Amino acid sequence: MSVKAFELVPAVEREQVMGDKVRINIECIECCGKHLYLGTNDCFIHHFLLEEHTTAKGMPAYNAQKLLHKFLGLKKPVLELKAASALERLIVLCDSTITVVDMVTLEPVPTGGNKLKGVTAFCINENPVTGDPFCVEMAVVSARKRAVQICLVYEDRLQVLKEVTTPEQPCALSLDGYFICLALSTQYMILNYSTAASQDLFPYDCEERKPIVKRIGREEFLLAAPGGLGMFANAEGISQRAPVSWSENVIAASVCFPYVVALDEGFVTVHSMLDQQLKQTLPFRDGHLLQDFEGKVVLASTKAVYILVPLPLERQIQDLLASHRVEEALTLTEAAQRNIPKEKYQILYKRILQQAGFIQFGQLKFLEAKEHFRKGLLDVRELISLYPLLLPSSSTFTRCHPPLHEFADLNHLTQGDKEKVQRFKRFLISYLHEVRSVESANGFREDVDTALLKLYAETGHDSLLDLLASDNACLLTDCAPWLEKHLKYFALGLLYHYNGQDSAALQMWVKIVKGDLQDSTRPDLFEYVVDFLSFCSNLDLVWRHADWLLQKDQKIGVQIFTKRPDSEGKRGQLNPDDVIGYLQKHNKALVLYLEHLVLEKRLKKEKYHTHLAVLYADRVLGLMSRPTVTEEQLSAARQKLQQLLKESNLYRVQLLSNKLQDSELLLPERATLHGKLEEHDKALHILVHQLKDSPAAEEYCSWASVNQDQAYRQNLFHQLLSVYLDPDVPGGPQTVAAVDLLNRHANVFDAVRVLDLLPEEWSLPLLRPFLCGALRSSVHARCTSRVAVGLARAENLQLKHDRLKYRGGPILVSEKKGCQLCHNTFSEPDCACLPGGKPVHIHCVTKKALISSISELFT
Amino acid sequence: MPQATRTKKPDVKVVILGDMNVGKTSLLHRYTERKFKDTISTVGGAFFMKQWGPYNISIWDTAGREQFHGLGSMYCRGAAAVILTYDVTNWQSLAELENRFLSLTDTANADCIFAIVGNKADLTDTRIQGPDTDGEQVDERQPVVTCPTSPAILHKQVSREDAIALYSHVLRYKGLEEKACLPADKMCFETSAKTGYNVDSLFESLFDLVLPSILKKRSEGESSTVDLESPMEVKTNKAGCCS
Repeated sequence: MSVKAFELVPAVEREQVMGDKVRINIECIECCGKHLYLGTNDCFIHHFLLEEHTTAKGMPAYNAQKLLHKFLGLKKPVLELKAASALERLIVLCDSTITVVDMVTLEPVPTGGNKLKGVTAFCINENPVTGDPFCVEMAVVSARKRAVQICLVYEDRLQVLKEVTTPEQPCALSLDGYFICLALSTQYMILNYSTAASQDLFPYDCEERKPIVKRIGREEFLLAAPGGLGMFANAEGISQRAPVSWSENVIAASVCFPYVVALDEGFVTVHSMLDQQLKQTLPFRDGHLLQDFEGKVVLASTKAVYILVPLPLERQIQDLLASHRVEEALTLTEAAQRNIPKEKYQILYKRILQQAGFIQFGQLKFLEAKEHFRKGLLDVRELISLYPLLLPSSSTFTRCHPPLHEFADLNHLTQGDKEKVQRFKRFLISYLHEVRSVESANGFREDVDTALLKLYAETGHDSLLDLLASDNACLLTDCAPWLEKHLKYFALGLLYHYNGQDSAALQMWVKIVKGDLQDSTRPDLFEYVVDFLSFCSNLDLVWRHADWLLQKDQKIGVQIFTKRPDSEGKRGQLNPDDVIGYLQKHNKALVLYLEHLVLEKRLKKEKYHTHLAVLYADRVLGLMSRPTVTEEQLSAARQKLQQLLKESNLYRVQLLSNKLQDSELLLPERATLHGKLEEHDKALHILVHQLKDSPAAEEYCSWASVNQDQAYRQNLFHQLLSVYLDPDVPGGPQTVAAVDLLNRHANVFDAVRVLDLLPEEWSLPLLRPFLCGALRSSVHARCTSRVAVGLARAENLQLKHDRLKYRGGPILVSEKKGCQLCHNTFSEPDCACLPGGKPVHIHCVTKKALISSISELFT
Repeated sequence: MPQATRTKKPDVKVVILGDMNVGKTSLLHRYTERKFKDTISTVGGAFFMKQWGPYNISIWDTAGREQFHGLGSMYCRGAAAVILTYDVTNWQSLAELENRFLSLTDTANADCIFAIVGNKADLTDTRIQGPDTDGEQVDERQPVVTCPTSPAILHKQVSREDAIALYSHVLRYKGLEEKACLPADKMCFETSAKTGYNVDSLFESLFDLVLPSILKKRSEGESSTVDLESPMEVKTNKAGCCS
């Protein structure tokens, strides 16, 4: 595989140089701007003006116009020509001597008597160290001299600056800054002529093969190495690029970034400096010279001159991409950075990355493709547009022109291979997913989200719901039919909801719950709908769907009323009375709702409490009248009723009382109601005589006196005791219960009153716990009150002490003492005291108070 | 990854040396491409850039042919690590390391570390003939690789002890105290580029060992560069002439 990197274009034809003289050969060339100089073996210098133009076919072409030729007057060939354009001079090597001629007239110019003789080679420093623009630095090698001379060429003189000795006879050289890269007879070396430090590079037999020493950039040289290698070496003697492989008989080499061009007997070869691969081979017979001048590569046979015109890099890159050589194309693009203006480069680089991405995409190399799309900032719609129907129909996107790839669409790309289609789709899912999370500001959110939704729906991806539940920009008009087509009704509902169409969403879901539509996404859809409505602030919707929900399941359905969040404002708040009114026909739901109001939200409204109590009572009564009722059901119902009756103080007791008074079974409830009415005798009567439940009676006393004072409590317990001891009831006094009561609640009773009440014949041990307790509590009360008295006294004493302390000592008033305010003496014993015990006249104080109040008035 | 390293400058250099046909290119190829394929005799040299954490390591594959011998010391210049490679079935290849290649390392860094690697271990040991233990699938489509030597079990000509002895020769040549250097048993490897045996371990342990060298190079580089961006610390305690 090869690239076409250069085009060989003729520049100077044979006839233009030598006419019909056959023995004349071109020996050297120099090119400076449009000026081309040729040195020939018959001691002539030819001067041409080189004009570049483009042919009708768009190919580059050169037209050389001969300006002048000049005979140097010797019979020796002109070996080397170097232009010093700033000086308008041409440095000539001919007959082992360096002379200087004018660039325009080609007339010799005096060099101040300093003639360099015996010269075999010289070179110009392209990275000069002197700051003088009108001075050219030159290194010269002479025959039979183990040294290099550093010279300076001025307009009118030539000056030898320095001579550096070398270990062997140099044969070729190149100069960069202070560094001379030398081919010696057996090796290459680098010499710093400023410090004289040297660095051997590698052995090379210059006798056997012509060396090549070519400066290719700042402190970097290209050298011909054994085995036909082109080695790179920097000034430190390190090779930073891998060598290129030429043929053994390479004649000349030159660099035109990023290519190394070499000439051998039959061919011009082009290697890339980036990957060292051979990129292009041009057949070229009788090649003699190959040199680059300011980026222009000039090639010459002995008779004619050609230019190697590099093809535009963009064209080369496109050629590489066309043959799917992605890596090479990218390498070349990155290398082109230094030749292209920054803005232009960035556009080019982005495009190449995108193209590379699409090539890899087509090869299913998704990882690489993704990386290139990302780096190339690909407009994601380019990618989406490859997948039919994914872009919203409203999208105005058109693919970029010229196209980034050769694919029509996914069908074209996969040729109907289903498995491939799936892989492409999976890639797009993951790509869009990433795009979404990273560059939400991409500007194409609608397109991305819509495409992603379609892909999710189509492939049954789990993330469909996540997408719809999170912040998204899916287009409703485009997505709704798609979701319907793929039977994603639940998701469609979510989409409606996201777009503020809760009514449509609910309609969708209700249809699924009812079985009109099939979508098993959520088996608990009914609960979901209830939950949704309980958070729905549109009360209209709540009422509209309440009937259906409650008919289906009262217990869950009522949650639309009970689970509503509290923190809402006015909007979305339900009026409980409306709800209660509505729930009349749904008894179970009504109970649940009232429980919610009374027990959970703890609303203090008599209406609700009474209503709930009545419903509880009705339920209990209803259950009792049913023959099949189980004990558990009944006790659970009674438990609820009892608890409400005991704990709530808001229901209408009389109403409940009327309701329950006929029931002989609901005695505890009736006792509780009597307690609420403070009819303790009746309550205790029921508990003691009808229910014969003394623990319940004791508990009653505790419950009924829970928020009352000690005396009330005592009275209640005494009342119970007297009920126990009442001899006028059938069965006589309940001695055991009375003793138990006393022993258990010793500290509640007034012991003296109890002892008076008790029959004489009761034994002391029987009442021992009571007596002990009573005694103990009485002693405890005494001790406690004494402590309290002691503490009160101490506090009183402390206060007295403080008062004395603050009052301070006596205030002395005498006839000699002056008033603090008027400074007159006191004539009468009456005085007032300022804070701090300073005595003043009473009238002074009054005056002062008056003044300060007046001044307050004015400020 | 290749595009990531395409334009970066290397932080450190590792050079693979050894006689021709010991498998230098195959070793590098196995490590970088995870494959073993027929290679042609290396012309001149080649290098591969490996990203190792935040660093770029250039690995130079040199040509073993005598013809390119002269280039060796240039490749070694500034190297932080040198892998001296021999063929376990070829005693001469070990001898050549000492005779011919050791002197090339004169241009390497003073703190350069050395690894002695005996390749083609699969040819002498049946245990490592199977596919690579790290799960590399043998590519069915690849043509059967014909080895330059017979695929049957060959006599192992170079023992591990020979390699360890060479390692101490290398240290002596370098004038280094054996005790102050990395131990021989850590720096002598037997590998198989064909099966992948020990190849990753060779390169990766070497990379870890050259890290200090990178850090040293970086810190030297930093100290000699003036950073114009960072604000200069101006001493304010000294009074100026006008104050």
